[in-house]
Amino acid sequence: MAFSLYQEFYKLSHRKLAWLAPLVLLVLMISTGLAMGYNESRLLMATCYDAPDWMMLILVVVGATTFSMEFQNNAILTLLYKSPNKALAYLAKYLVILAYNVWLHLIAILFTVGLHALPMNQSMAWSVRYRYQQPLWENMLKTMTLDILTTTFIISLIFLLSCLINSNAVVISVSLLMVFMGQFISANLLNAGKFTQVLRWNPFNMTNLTRQYYNHATYFDTSHLLNQQLILGTLGYTLLFVVAGYLIFRKKRF
Amino acid sequence: MLNVQNVNTYIGRKRLIKGATFTIHQGDIVGLIGPNGAGKTTLMKTILGLTKFDGQIQFNQQPVTENQHDALANVGALIEHPAIYPFLTGQQNLALYAHDAADRQQLISELGMTDYIQAKSKGYSLGMKQKLGIAIALLNHPQLVILDEPMNGLDVTATIGVRRLIQQYAAQGTAFLISSHILSELQKVMTKIVLINHGEIIVDQPIVAFEQLHHQADKLLTEDFSLTAKILKEHHIHYVLDGNAFQINHKNSFEIQDMLSSQQIHIRELTPVARNLEQLVVNILDQQRSDHHEA
Repeated sequence: MAFSLYQEFYKLSHRKLAWLAPLVLLVLMISTGLAMGYNESRLLMATCYDAPDWMMLILVVVGATTFSMEFQNNAILTLLYKSPNKALAYLAKYLVILAYNVWLHLIAILFTVGLHALPMNQSMAWSVRYRYQQPLWENMLKTMTLDILTTTFIISLIFLLSCLINSNAVVISVSLLMVFMGQFISANLLNAGKFTQVLRWNPFNMTNLTRQYYNHATYFDTSHLLNQQLILGTLGYTLLFVVAGYLIFRKKRF
Repeated sequence: MLNVQNVNTYIGRKRLIKGATFTIHQGDIVGLIGPNGAGKTTLMKTILGLTKFDGQIQFNQQPVTENQHDALANVGALIEHPAIYPFLTGQQNLALYAHDAADRQQLISELGMTDYIQAKSKGYSLGMKQKLGIAIALLNHPQLVILDEPMNGLDVTATIGVRRLIQQYAAQGTAFLISSHILSELQKVMTKIVLINHGEIIVDQPIVAFEQLHHQADKLLTEDFSLTAKILKEHHIHYVLDGNAFQINHKNSFEIQDMLSSQQIHIRELTPVARNLEQLVVNILDQQRSDHHEA
């Protein structure tokens, strides 16, 4: 397992995309800071300058290419026969992307602290109370923690799709469609007003977790689930997608 | 070392490998030969636990299954295409699998890759990639190396270099299972032949025994072609026509002489035929085909 993890970290750390991503994230966070109103400092700080949305984009691309690069570079056979079993090959990839996900969130927090020091928006102390009567720093940390759950859920979905589809272009397109159109699909399903009690547990609805945390009033009406229920649903679907992805990977012919 | 016992490989419900049984011992260089679609690559993938199969595969008494590859820790392979990440240099591609930097460096030098090993592999030619793929298979002093068409894209110098490397590793105890369409090249290194056709192993012999057994054809020319053909058919003696001459198995030559003599047919020529591996393989496959038709 240790050697499989080393190999996956080695590959990821030598991909330009992995190192360019934080730079792209910084540019997008600055753009958000400039585009939002001068008085929106509290929202910007609590959401790390909308980093969750940008990180989702980055993780879709990095995650989708994690498997497809093996197929496209004819490396999947070598990867598999050198792994003690398929579960370890799958798990090593998943754990490395999860570590990258956490690292990206830590970078986003650091960038936020740095951007907060710039006179880009209205100056606001981290101790100012914002959502849930909690200080801004707590809001930010909780937003990022919950976003790690949301992005882990998305990564699991991407891994599942990657095991079904070999082309990274198709996986990226389908993943982006599900991530960004999923909310609309879910909202439309729930707005119909029928079977809401069941339909509110649809997987697309779980992509609302981060947004609902920092904007409960707006997103609760869309999701029809409490924050705790969204967390539970996200964890459940993450587990389901990981297991389903592995079972497909195990049965896949190479 | 490697023990393959009654292995059947399936893709969906289709059985691609049928009851394959053979063994490979330390230092063997086994040539896996067969026409396109015979099942060579499938058999190699099966040994590496990459397909659904039944039967038994054991490497050093440890079982290999579709989902248990621990036994393959000392196996290297190059299957279908070299597994190369284009965003890594050749050196980094090797570092990804290498346990020993000195071994890696030695392979780079022995395969003549020093000049370009620090360059990104996305710019490599087919031959350069192939050499890198072979180097990956030979890393960490494996006990068994499986090479699928290793000479693809290699120039003459590289082909000679790879051949020498295979012999050098085999002399140190590494066993090889090699498939190649270039039979003349395989003939120079292999110590054992496994011939596969339609997923069935039809020959599994040391190369010396194989050549002794199959390399003994005689050319027979008689005064009466049609009567000779009739007599051979009546006695169910296998022959291959070469113009107006018969190619017969050497072991039947005394029997045939007696038959022809009893029918007062005079022999014009009876001489041994020298044949290369390609001709032998083609003849065996032809014979198998005709046996199938007769059956």
